[in-house]
Amino acid sequence: MAEMNVSGGGGHKKDKKVRGKKMSTRVDLTPMVDLGFLLITFFMLATTFNKPKTMEVNKPAKDDIKKEEEPPIKMSKTATLMLGKGDKIYAYVSPDEIDETTQISLDSIDYSPNGLRKFIQRRQNEVQAQWGNKDDLFIMIKPLPSSSFKNIVDALDEMTINDVKRYAILAPNDPIDSLIALRAGQSRK
Amino acid sequence: MPKVKIPRKSTAVDMTAMCDVAFLLLTFFILTTKFRPQEVVAIDIPSSTAQIPIPDRDIMLFQIAPDGKVFFGLDDQPTRLKLLDRLSAQYSLSLSDKQKDAFRTLETWGMDIRSLPAFLEKTPAERATAPQAGLTIDTTGGNHQVEDLILFSRQENNMLRIAIKADKTTEYRNFDKLINALQNRKVNKFNLITSARAKRE
Repeated sequence: MAEMNVSGGGGHKKDKKVRGKKMSTRVDLTPMVDLGFLLITFFMLATTFNKPKTMEVNKPAKDDIKKEEEPPIKMSKTATLMLGKGDKIYAYVSPDEIDETTQISLDSIDYSPNGLRKFIQRRQNEVQAQWGNKDDLFIMIKPLPSSSFKNIVDALDEMTINDVKRYAILAPNDPIDSLIALRAGQSRK
Repeated sequence: MPKVKIPRKSTAVDMTAMCDVAFLLLTFFILTTKFRPQEVVAIDIPSSTAQIPIPDRDIMLFQIAPDGKVFFGLDDQPTRLKLLDRLSAQYSLSLSDKQKDAFRTLETWGMDIRSLPAFLEKTPAERATAPQAGLTIDTTGGNHQVEDLILFSRQENNMLRIAIKADKTTEYRNFDKLINALQNRKVNKFNLITSARAKRE
């Protein structure tokens, strides 16, 4: 770097060779590098790299719930997902009018793309065919108390993935819900 | 006889470049690092495709352990102290300065508020290992501890956002109890903390 190559040029005078020794300006950086890497190692181990993400959940205010119930949504625009124990979902669609002879078919599905996602997409297509707009679909998510936190996150996530515009987390209070919970052997309490 | 010197090659390598790299990386890590908070209980969070990063400041964090115990944490130390003042007034706790200071540095805790003084009396090492019973969520006997926590914290810092970090396997009933307490205090918006997952198509 700062060194000059003073190879003899041949015809120089001999007395010029004697010079005061130049001190090198170079510093040995090895210890500094050592220290640098030591600190890097420390910070790498102490750091949390993957910043967790958050999923925003908005629940209707408790006072508002009654107001929202006033214009009831047509049941044929809805689908109900009951999240149960052991990563099971009980999905059903109830007709607009219910009487004692009504038969409701109940699907037991899981959280895989072939289960929940297929169900939602099928339902979206049905609503599209009947009402002309798949965004009319309203999904009611009813977690049973014994379902896990992962289930609710997965279900909400599936709403985002399938672009379901309207959904809500509700308590399983319907008579139908109690029947299903009873049949599945899962308490609503 | 004149000595013939064979110039020896030095084995020393120029360290300047390496030093530059080392310190560049070091600077990066120092600036981006956020120390892993001390964990009271191990929580395995579920993953989702949500992309919103958790805000850095003004967070009220509820943690729900797999067994349903709920823990509470505020990120901001001055707010913690203000909260403690409010709590000691409400629950008539008498705390020494030493206990208050211990609370200031307490990242996460979960126990009945009335057993806080005894817990704060312990040495930091004892506190780290002492078992915690979880917050008292039960509202029997007009006992609204969680609701008080939410109310007081938000009164002291109205920018607070509520984050819930729950274990995958936690039963929904535990989550529901907490949500209920939050909604009783008119908190209808909260963040569920999840880890990132690639969007599956």
